[in-house]
This record gives sequence, structure tokens and C-alpha cells, in this order.
Amino acid sequence: MNTSIYAKPIMPRIVVRPLLVTLFLHALMLWLLTVNFSDSQSEVVKMKPAPVVINARLVDASELQPKPKPAPKPQPKPAPKPAPKPKVEAPPEPKPAPKPAPKPAPKPAPKPEPKPEPKPEPATPRMTPQELAALARAELNDQLLAEEAARATAAADEMAASFVALIQQTVVGYWSRPPSARNDMQAELQIQLIPTGEVVSVQVVKSSGNAAFDRSAVNAVQKAGAFPELQKLPNAEFERQFRRFRLIFRPEDLRY
Amino acid sequence: MKHTIRVFAGALLLLLAWGARAELAIEITQGVDNPTPIAVVPFAWQGAGTAPEDVAAVIDGDLARSGQFSPVSRSDMLGRPSSEAEVFYRDWRAINSDYLLIGRVSSAGAMRIEYELFDVLRQTKVFSGFEEGPASEARMLAHRVADAVYEKLTGIPGAFATRLLYISVQRVPGGKDYFRLTLSDSDGARPIVLLESREPVLGPTWSPDGKQIAYVSFETNRPAIYRQVLATGEREQLTNFKGLNSSPSWSPDGNTMAMVLSKDGNPDIYLMDLASKRLTRVTDHYAIDTEPAWMPDGRSLLFTSDRGGKPQIYRYDLRSRDVSRLTFEGTYNARARVAQDGRNVALVHQQNRQYHIALLDLVTNRMHVLTSTELDESPSIAPNGSMVLYATKYAERGILAAVSVDGGVKFRLPAREGDVREPAWSPYIPR
Repeated sequence: MNTSIYAKPIMPRIVVRPLLVTLFLHALMLWLLTVNFSDSQSEVVKMKPAPVVINARLVDASELQPKPKPAPKPQPKPAPKPAPKPKVEAPPEPKPAPKPAPKPAPKPAPKPEPKPEPKPEPATPRMTPQELAALARAELNDQLLAEEAARATAAADEMAASFVALIQQTVVGYWSRPPSARNDMQAELQIQLIPTGEVVSVQVVKSSGNAAFDRSAVNAVQKAGAFPELQKLPNAEFERQFRRFRLIFRPEDLRY
Repeated sequence: MKHTIRVFAGALLLLLAWGARAELAIEITQGVDNPTPIAVVPFAWQGAGTAPEDVAAVIDGDLARSGQFSPVSRSDMLGRPSSEAEVFYRDWRAINSDYLLIGRVSSAGAMRIEYELFDVLRQTKVFSGFEEGPASEARMLAHRVADAVYEKLTGIPGAFATRLLYISVQRVPGGKDYFRLTLSDSDGARPIVLLESREPVLGPTWSPDGKQIAYVSFETNRPAIYRQVLATGEREQLTNFKGLNSSPSWSPDGNTMAMVLSKDGNPDIYLMDLASKRLTRVTDHYAIDTEPAWMPDGRSLLFTSDRGGKPQIYRYDLRSRDVSRLTFEGTYNARARVAQDGRNVALVHQQNRQYHIALLDLVTNRMHVLTSTELDESPSIAPNGSMVLYATKYAERGILAAVSVDGGVKFRLPAREGDVREPAWSPYIPR
């Protein structure tokens, strides 16, 4: 320890870890909640950009945002990424102030800060050490559980996202647009799959107004025929997302 | 605090549950513009002897030339159905054909072509129809079937049942060349010579109803503008002025002919009222103004002028009499022809000392160069706006070629003897 050039934080571990976790989780929750609230009017939108942006073109994201649509599952996706963002939002929030430890309250920045202001804690405890420890333990437990759940959803979601990308790529490869297709056209299809990944039904739920365009979209899915890779999905996940889903065909790379 | 977390977590769960009910929506924003495979099965002939025309081959050729379809080779077909009962979708799915067109041709007096189009992937009939007409018009009937199929599957009316006008020149070494004003099907088949002259014939153009044509002929040893009724061959000399008489262009209402005359000095644009033959001068400039082309709304004319020093395209507004310059890219833009949508203008554009066909989008003001050959000239747009026909040089000869307005599809019309130039794609031809 003495040999290390870098001074280790003096704050007791037992306090620092939960503190950081708490800060993070609160920020995460707040972020999730605010995201959800602001999202409640334009639901679908939120999630669509996610998959598209990841593997396709960043341009889409900004364009998609404004569109109002029933958003399936916005919350899951954000989960993995929020990490960076919360930091930004945390500072203004009064609440996130660490509950167990009254003092460090200062700013949000997790790691660097602890070093300078380690002392206050030991100095100000109003509860007995036992109480404090018990509280911390309980809280840690809750947090771990929540974290675990979040991680599970995140993982499942990441997986789902990769299958979304796969479906996109496959269908794009089969989509041959008619010359009458224009960039502002949009057709929405409802696809039904069975767990083998086979397409069992394709229906136009919102027509583009151009029959040839609609037909080209349906044919793209029919030609794709099946997405056998979906067999790798856990059953619950398949049922939740892919048994029935929508495909929105909206060309963005045409000249007009 | 603990409490707060629980509340938050509870809220999160609620939201998740609520979110799970909405359906996953995936967006597809790109695609491949691959041609769609279609199988055009030889139509069953239900008359005596052998069929006078391979109707399916004409349709097949039309669809292939559009670039939007890749017809399945006959040798790959696993069957030759001619009625719905004989259609086995799996046979067509097996050879990766998305669509299947079958039909029957009968001839009892008039020729009748019945056809049915099937969607192989969805295993449904898309539509069926028939065409009727004299057996001598079998190819035209076939083109009409191709038009119907094309429109159904692309959302754009087909332009196969149209005609082409062009000038072919037969070189006579050491003598006078033959100039032939020729009319053909849109695929170049069935050429008919409308006028043969040993003096130049130029600038053929169509009346908006597709029933008459106009052209410049030097048959009197000086240029004069003629108009001719296709059905009767009856013709009328419209001008015989001193100097240049060129570039006739019919107004969209068919009542007026724009033309270039140099009778008052240098070449300027004039309008002739076809009923009274009265002339109105449109431009009066010391530069050369030529090659007038009407906008589809008939309210303005595009023309080529070198008033800015180099040939560029200008627009003349017939009401306000304002002249505005449309092209700024490059040092040479000429011979504009406007598509029926009034948006795309095909023209000859010089780039790196080569002459290419380009498309000027009047909405975005963007110029798209469509061809890469060196000596492309005389663009003419199909009435459905999908293709531009033009003249070019290939293997030392003048030939006709076509390019799609997105530049993605190109084809040459079957080569024939002599040099071919100045194509003019007809408007839609009424039945």
C-alpha cells in the first residue's frame, strides 16, 4: 500500500461502494423515469431508432424521434446505455444525494470526488454504527436485486436488438422497390412468426397508398420466408417480441 | 430513501409491463433495386395453324428492357400453364420467380389476348385482363399487356404501347445519302419508312395526341417545316422562310407550334398558330435562341441560348415574358426535353469534353448525368417519364440507346443498317 504512488481513498470501503451504487442507481431510475414520462406521448418512436442507429445509419435517429407511434418497449433499451447520461442529469437533482451518508452530498461525480472529502463521514454519523451498517446492508441488497433484474432485461434486450438487426438486414436484402417508390412513403406490415422463425402471416396494417409499394414490402418479407436464427431466442423473449411484430417500410435512400 | 427506491422500482415494473403490450416495430429504410423476377409463359394459341406472333416474347422483352424485371428463361420453366387450374406455385417458387404471367391468344376475326398475373410468393392471382384488336396489331396488343402488368407491379403506367420516330441515314459512298424518317414500335420493331429523301430530314416531333408528326425537310433544297397525319399520310408545309426553319415543337394543347426561324436576322423562337398560321415572335436577342421545348402546362418554353456566352437552357414565361436561366453547371447544356411531370428535364450536358445525357431536376435544381458515352445527343423522354431515349455512337455508327431516369438501366435498340439519329418518343397512343 505504501508503495503505491496513488493514494487510495481513505473513505471506508463499506461506505463508498454502496454510496456509488446508490448514486448510480438513483440516477438511472430518475433517468429512466424522465425518459418514460417525456416519452409517454410518442411511445413507439423511442425504440425504433435504437436498433436502426446501431447498425444502420445515424441519420435515422433524428428523423425518427418526432414521429408519434406506439412505442413498444422503450425502457429496456435505454437500460444498458444510461450510464453516461445519468451523470449529466444527476447534478441538478436534489434527491440523489446519498441517503446513508449525509455529507458528501456535493456533486455527482462518483470516483474522483471521494478522495478530497473523506473525513466528514466518520465525523457526522448520527446513527449508531450498527444501525448504519444494517441500513447499508439492506439497501445494498435491494440495489443488487434491482441491478440484477436490470442486467437481465438489458441482456435480453441486447439479444433482441441483435435479432431486430438481423431481421432488418434480411428484409432489406429482399426488398426491391418499385420505381414509383418515394422517400415519403411508408407501409406498415404486421408479421407473425412461429418459434422456428418461419413467417406465417404478413399483413399490411397501414398502406402507403401505393399498391405496388405495399406489394414490394410484403414480397420482401415473403421472400425472406423465415428467420431461423430466432430459434436461439429464449422462448419468453420470442413470445414477448417476435411472435407478432411490425415492420415499417420507409425508404430513405431514394433520389426523391 | 429505501421507500423511494421501491416506488421507483415499482413504477419501472409497471412501465415495463405496459410497454410489453405494444408491438415491436422494426423499420426498413433501405432496399435493393434488383429487378423483379417474372415468368412470362408462352401464351397458348387457340387458333388455326401457328400463332402469328409470339405475344409472350414481346411482353417478356418489354419487361426486361424496363430494367425493373428479369424475366425467367423459358428453358428454366417447369411447366407451361395457360390457365389458372394449371398453375402450381411451387414450380415457380422453385425457380425463384416472384410473378407468373400466363395467357391465351385466340383469333376469330379479331385477335384476343387473355392474360392472368399471379403472385407466386403470396400464391394469389394479382389480376387478369384481355386485349382485343386486329391481328395485324398483335405486337401492339402485346405491348398493351406489358403496360398493364408493368403498371400493376410498379405503380407507374407502362409506355410500351408507344411508337418511336427517328431518322436513319444510309450512306452512299460518293453519292447522295438517303435520309429516312422512320416510325417503329417502342422496342424498335416494325420499322416503317414515312419519308425518304436524298436531302436531310431533321427534328421529327409528335403532336400531343400522337396522331400527327412534324419535321424539317430539305427536300426543296432549303429547310422547311412540315406536318403530317400518320393515319392518312396527308401532309402540309408550315414554313418556307428564308434562312433557318427548324426545331418544331407542338404545344401541349396541340394548337400552336413553337419553332426556330432566322427570317428576321439571327435564329429566334417563334410561335405559329396552327389554325391561322399566324406567327408570334417569342425571343428577340442577338444571340442564337433555339431548340424550344414546351413545359407540360403550356405556360412556358425552355430553349437553348448562348446569350450568356455558352449554350445554356433558359425558360421563357409566356405570360410575363420573363426569361430565366435554368442551367449553371458546366459550359454546355442544350436540347432540353421536359418529362410529363414537369419536373425532370433531359438535356445534353458537356463534361470533360464529352457529351452526355443529363437530367435536370427542376425542383432541386440538381443535375444528374445519366450516360457515360461520349457523343450522346437528342434526348427524348418516354411518356411515363421512366426512360430517356437518345442517339449515340457505337462501333462507329449512330445508334439509339435508352437510359432510365435514375441512370440505373441502360439498353441499346437493336442495331440496324446505317446511322440512326434524332429519336422522338411518342406520347401515349389512344386505342
